[in-house]
Amino acid sequence: MSLLRPTGDGLSVKRSLALAAPLAVLLAVIPQLVDAYMTQLLTYGLIFGIAALGFNLLLGYTGLLSFGHSAYFGLGAYTAAFMVKYLGVGSMELYILGGIAVTAVVTAAFGYVCVGYTRIFFGILTLALSQVLWTLAYKFFWVTGGTDGIRVAYGKMTLLAGLVDFTGPGSYQRFIGAYYYYTLVLFALCVVLMWVIVHSPFGKALQAIRDNETRARFLGIGVRKYRLIAFLISGLFAGLAGTLWVPLNGLVTPDIVYWPFSGEIVFMTVLGGFRTFSGPIIGAIVFNFLKTYAVASTAYWQAALGIVLVILVMALPAGIVGGLKQVAGAWRARGRGDGAP
Amino acid sequence: MRDQKDKSPVSRRDFLSTVGVAAGAGIAAASGTAAYFAGPRPASAAPKVKGNIKDTPYKTGHITFLTGPANLLGEPGRKGHLLAAEEINAEGGLLGKRKIETIVADESAGTDANVKELRRMKLSEKIDLFTGVISSGNTPALGPVAEELGVLTLFNDGCTDFLFDKAVPNPKYVFRVTNIQSADGITSAIGAARAWPHAKKVASIQPDYSYGRNVHEHFMLAYKAMVPGAESVAEAWPKLFSTDFTPHITKLLSAGPDLLICGLWGGDYVAFYKQALRYGLFDKMKVATTLAFGGQPHAIGKDHPEGVLAGVHANYFFLHPGNKRWPINDSFVQRYYKRWNEYPSFESDGAYTALYLLKSAIERANHLVGGWPDDEAIISQLEGLGIDSPAGYVYIRPDNHQGYKDSAIGMTKNVPDYQFPVWDPKSVITISIRDITAPPNWPKPGQGHEESTAAANWLKTTWINNKA
Repeated sequence: MSLLRPTGDGLSVKRSLALAAPLAVLLAVIPQLVDAYMTQLLTYGLIFGIAALGFNLLLGYTGLLSFGHSAYFGLGAYTAAFMVKYLGVGSMELYILGGIAVTAVVTAAFGYVCVGYTRIFFGILTLALSQVLWTLAYKFFWVTGGTDGIRVAYGKMTLLAGLVDFTGPGSYQRFIGAYYYYTLVLFALCVVLMWVIVHSPFGKALQAIRDNETRARFLGIGVRKYRLIAFLISGLFAGLAGTLWVPLNGLVTPDIVYWPFSGEIVFMTVLGGFRTFSGPIIGAIVFNFLKTYAVASTAYWQAALGIVLVILVMALPAGIVGGLKQVAGAWRARGRGDGAP
Repeated sequence: MRDQKDKSPVSRRDFLSTVGVAAGAGIAAASGTAAYFAGPRPASAAPKVKGNIKDTPYKTGHITFLTGPANLLGEPGRKGHLLAAEEINAEGGLLGKRKIETIVADESAGTDANVKELRRMKLSEKIDLFTGVISSGNTPALGPVAEELGVLTLFNDGCTDFLFDKAVPNPKYVFRVTNIQSADGITSAIGAARAWPHAKKVASIQPDYSYGRNVHEHFMLAYKAMVPGAESVAEAWPKLFSTDFTPHITKLLSAGPDLLICGLWGGDYVAFYKQALRYGLFDKMKVATTLAFGGQPHAIGKDHPEGVLAGVHANYFFLHPGNKRWPINDSFVQRYYKRWNEYPSFESDGAYTALYLLKSAIERANHLVGGWPDDEAIISQLEGLGIDSPAGYVYIRPDNHQGYKDSAIGMTKNVPDYQFPVWDPKSVITISIRDITAPPNWPKPGQGHEESTAAANWLKTTWINNKA
C-alpha cells in the first residue's frame, strides 16, 4: 500500500484544508501589508509556482525529469504576445484561452514523441524539442521580434472581460494590486485542481508507474497513455503560467524559451522539494526572491545561486518543505517519547 | 601621461597644461559662460542656486555588465559614472546640496531580471535617476518600464534605433546619451569606402541579435551607395557571447572577400581577433569594425594587426580629439587615469557625460523655477540641451530624446607610448552626425514605410536614389 502513497504527503482532505485555509488568508491580506514592489515579486512567485506545480506532476509523481518546460511556458507567453501584436487583442481572458489552446496542441505533439522514453533519454528529448522552439523565436525575428522580443503592455489590456483597465497616473501600482488577486485566484484553482489530480485514481496510477513501471503494466495501467496525459496536464500548467507572466513582465523574449529557464524550473522544484505537493510552490516563490535579491546585491549572483544549490543538495536533499517535514516529524516523535533510541 | 611606462600618470608638462585649463575655465567663468560642460569647475564658475535645497542624497540606479564578456564595456561605463558622481559630490553635490548615491546591478542577469531590478530600484529603493545599460537587447525592454514607472532615465548605451523608433516612440522620461546605432554601420562604411574604395566583395560577421543585424544592414546600405558594384559574398552570425569563432572564420575565408565588416564587441571581439590571427584572416582581407576599440583600451593586445578600421560605436576614443586641441578631453583622460589607473572608453565618456548633462539641466531648471526642480522641469531642460563633453559637442534632440555627436573612426597602429594599439592620428576621420543620421521627425517605421529603422529609410531615399 505504501507504494501508492505519495511519499510524505498522506494528508487527509480535512487536514489539507486546515493547513491551506490560513495560508490562503495570509496570501489574500499580504498586499495590504507590503509595498507594490513586494506584491509584484510575490505575483511572479505565484506564477512560477503554477509552472513548478505542473512540472512536478511529471518529476515528483510520474518520475520523469523534463528539461524542456521553458517551451510550454514560452508557448503560453508568446501566444499572448502574438495576439497583441498581430490581432490587437487586449483581454487577459482571451490570452488565457488562446494560450491554453496553443499549448495543448504543441504539448500533445511533443509529449507523444517524448513519453516513449524515460530517464536521461526523456530529459534530452524534452530539451531538444524546447531548443527547436527557442531557435524559431530567436531566428525568425521578423515574426517574433528576435531578441528585442514582443511587448505586452498592461496599459493596453483589461481584466475580467473589460471590467478592469489600467490607464492614467499611478497605473502601475493599480495594475499590480489587481493583477496579484487575479493571479492568486487562478493559482488557487490550479492548486486545488492539481491536488485533486494527484489524489485521484489517475494520480495514484502515475505514482505506481513512477515506483515500478513493470508492475504498473501488469496491473493493467496503460503506461504510455497515462504518461502522455500527465505530460499534457504538466505542459498546460506551464503554459498558463507563461500567459500570466507576460503582462507582468511587460515583454517576452527568446530568453524565456531558452534552456536555462527550464533549468530554473527544475531548480525551483528541487529547492522546495519534489517529493511533496507544496514543495514546488514554496520553491518557486523562494527562488524568485533569491534570484532577485542575489542580482541586486552582488555581481557574483550566479555563484551565490550555485552555492545555494550545492548546500541544498548536501544538507536538505528533500528540499525546503521536505526538510521541514522531517524536522517536524522528529519533533513530534520526541513529543510522543518514542524518538529516543 | 601619454607614456604608460611612466608610473606617475601626471608629468610636469601635463600638470602645467592642466593648470592652463583650469585658468582658462576661470577666465571663461568670469564672463559667465563656463557653467555648463562635462567636468569639474572652480566654485566661482558655479551659477547661484535659487531657493532652499534639502541635502537628501540623489539616488541613482545603474545597471551595467559587471560580469561576462560584455564587462569590457560595462566596467568603463560604471567607472565613468562614478568619476562624474565623485566630482559632482566634491562640489557639494547637485545644486551644491544633494550628493549622488549610486546602487549598481549586473546586466548579465538577463533582460527579465533587469526589468525586475529596475522596478526594485524605483519602487523599493526610490531612485531619482536610472542610468547605465549597455546591451541593445535591454533598452527596448527597460525603456517602456521606465516610462510606466515614471523614473527619469539616462541610458548611456543600448543604442538601438528600435528604442525610440518603436519601443518608446514618444518618450517622456527616457533619454539616451551615446550615438544612435545606425550611425555605427554608416561610420564604418564611410571609413572603409575612403580607405579601400575598390573593395567590392564584402563579407560580414555579426553577433546574432538586433545589434549585428543593424550594423550589417546600415553598413551595406551606405557602402553600396558609395562603392558602386559592392556586393555581400558571405555572412556569419555567431551567437552573442560566443567563444569559438573557428567555423565562422573558415566560412569567411572560403568566400574570399576583399573586405570584412565586423560588429563583434567586448570579449567576443577579443576572442575573434585572436582566433582570426591563427588563420591569417587579417592578411587575406581588409577588416572594418564598429567596436574593436569599444571596450577598455588595454583589452586589445599588441598582437592586434595594424591597419584595421577600429570603430568606437561611432562615439569616442580617448586620444581624440588629441594634441591638446580639446582640453576638456585631455583633462578628463588625466582625471580618469588618476582615479582608475586605466584609460577611458566611449562608455566611460557616455556615462560621465550623462551625469553632467543631468547636472546642467538641474542647474538650468533651478535658475528658472527655484528650489529643487521636479522631473518635469528637469526634462524640459534636458530636451534640446547641448554641452561640451570629452568627445566633443553633445546635443539631446527634443523629438526623440536621443543624444547626437559627431562620430569618429580610425586605423589601428602600435606606438611605443602605449601597451595596446591606438588610432593612427593621421588616419582618424570625424564625420558630421548630420550627414549620417535621419533628421528630426523623419518618418519612423510604420509611418509610411516598413524599413527596419528611420535611418534605413532615410539612407534609401536620400543616399541611393539621389547620388550626387
